[in-house]
Amino acid sequence: MAWLHTWSGLLLGWLLLAMFVTGTSAYFREEISLWMAPELHHSQPSPDTPALAWAALNAKAPDAKSWDIQLPEARSPVAQLRWQPDRPQAEDGGRRRGEQAVMDAGSGELLSPRASRGGDFLYRFHFELYGVPRIWARWLICVATMFMLVAIVSGVITHKKIFKDFFTFRPGKGQRSWLDSHNATAVLALPFHFMITYSGLLIFMVMLMPWGMNAAYEDGWRGFFQDVFPREEPAAEGGAAMPMVDIVPLVARARDTFEQPVRRISVDWPNRDNAVIRVSTAKDPHITDQRRGGNPTLVFNGGTGELLETRPGDEAVPGAFRVYNLLVNLHLARFADPTVRWLFFLFGVGGTAMVATGMLLWVSKRTQQLRGKAPGAALRLVNGLNIASLTGLLGALAAYFAANRLLPVELAARESWEIRVFFLTWLLALVHALLRPDRRGWIEQLAAITVLWAALPLLNVATTDSHLFSATAWRTGALAGFDVVCLLMAATGGYALWRVVRKQPVRGRGPLPQRRTAEDGA
Amino acid sequence: MTVIAVTLPLSLAYAGLTALALAMKRHHEAALGAKPPATRLRAFRVAGWVLMALMVASCLRLWPTGLALSMALGLVTLAGLPLVFLLPYRPRLMVRLAPILPVLALIATAV
Repeated sequence: MAWLHTWSGLLLGWLLLAMFVTGTSAYFREEISLWMAPELHHSQPSPDTPALAWAALNAKAPDAKSWDIQLPEARSPVAQLRWQPDRPQAEDGGRRRGEQAVMDAGSGELLSPRASRGGDFLYRFHFELYGVPRIWARWLICVATMFMLVAIVSGVITHKKIFKDFFTFRPGKGQRSWLDSHNATAVLALPFHFMITYSGLLIFMVMLMPWGMNAAYEDGWRGFFQDVFPREEPAAEGGAAMPMVDIVPLVARARDTFEQPVRRISVDWPNRDNAVIRVSTAKDPHITDQRRGGNPTLVFNGGTGELLETRPGDEAVPGAFRVYNLLVNLHLARFADPTVRWLFFLFGVGGTAMVATGMLLWVSKRTQQLRGKAPGAALRLVNGLNIASLTGLLGALAAYFAANRLLPVELAARESWEIRVFFLTWLLALVHALLRPDRRGWIEQLAAITVLWAALPLLNVATTDSHLFSATAWRTGALAGFDVVCLLMAATGGYALWRVVRKQPVRGRGPLPQRRTAEDGA
Repeated sequence: MTVIAVTLPLSLAYAGLTALALAMKRHHEAALGAKPPATRLRAFRVAGWVLMALMVASCLRLWPTGLALSMALGLVTLAGLPLVFLLPYRPRLMVRLAPILPVLALIATAV
């Protein structure tokens, strides 16, 4: 079983590492997106935000087909306005994309943030990579995830002294130390790894195993989804023009009914005589088994303000569906308050460490077996890929954030340039690592990422007014948190650099361990 | 949910894992420097599991059941990692932290 663990781990390790790093960052997807749009940093929610948004949409798109207002919340201080123009669908290429604007929640002014994919790029990369046809990428990711399950199970079987060595870490012993740290990060976090891998596969359940669904529904997943998550279509035609009621009392009523703050307002056929207004609140944050029926919602007649329907949003669902919901919500940390979100982030860092230590162990073990001889091409290749996938990726991530601050705001296709900077930096790191797949490669790249991450908060001071020394950054905790994490990344990089520089290469020192035990098989 | 509330299950997990580590002969000798009699090892093992049970209970007070059990597993990881790295470098500190941290967490939670 050891060979299975070794080779499935190695071959998919690089991809898994990229998935772990970007997926871990995706726990803070919205915070990253906010950081990458400094134009929004001064927005502050106020009790008047719904009225301001209402007025803004009335001015901007009074005769749209539909409106959608996302009010500010803890993770996003702005109001998002979306509307669907009332014209034939074909003009939008058949996709109902509509138009959108971002509103300053305090002043009601429409903001124009710089073009950036923000945290969404990292989130998407985590499960569909970039530039690869989406369906191919998703299959590749799913195969990698399945191999991770294989690696987890075979790893547990390989690791015979799992309980005896539960707390064992023997420092300063090269291969042995890497094995111990790989074991420690893997075994201690085993339940988390199993959960995150299995639930990751569940999210793509429909893609991976469509047979049941295809057998039961003539139109396959479309019919299935319509049954599981029913979507209501608005009336086909807008009626005669008719002004709508004031939104403020409706918002107050929804808040009082559900005792939760209002998050979203959507309107079908605004300013017509068949206007329908839906006011939704947040869910009780402690509902992990998010049930069917969406958020608690009040539905009003737009012209009269009469209450049409109350949807508490807690329709019971069958047991299997609840288990699915629980696992998927755990994977996405959908319910999470900041503390839980941070904990999940740290678990993700632990998972990254597990994959990374496993790959370093592979190289360490084979380097030690050389007893001082020069490493062959294969070993050099693996070591180079390790450098590029670990330090290279972290460097590319820092470069992506730096590009957000440095690229001119008016640059055409700016958001693609940010992504290009990410991949060019990663490519550069790969070339460098393949040219120097040794200790020097590690030292140089570790030095580079230490400098890059430490530079980010400074760059922020130079280019924005929401930096670590400003009240704005600390008022919206996410902004200060981002810069602090950058400094922690720099500190970690610097510490690793110091350790590598100080340490003599293990290669060729002393005899190999004489006795080959089962645990050495890794 | 404040960060402070999480310190209690986290420190209990640390204390419980330390007790479980001290229930193993090798780590007991490394950390406390004496050859332990079997009864003492057993006492540490019982104490360790009791602390772990308390830790799960404190998670259940903070979160709904499904999330609480997941968080309990996650917090064991978070508490275990520093423990694993303290054991070879600062074994004495590892042992001393075990009773101190839960007391500090209790005080912090009460304040």
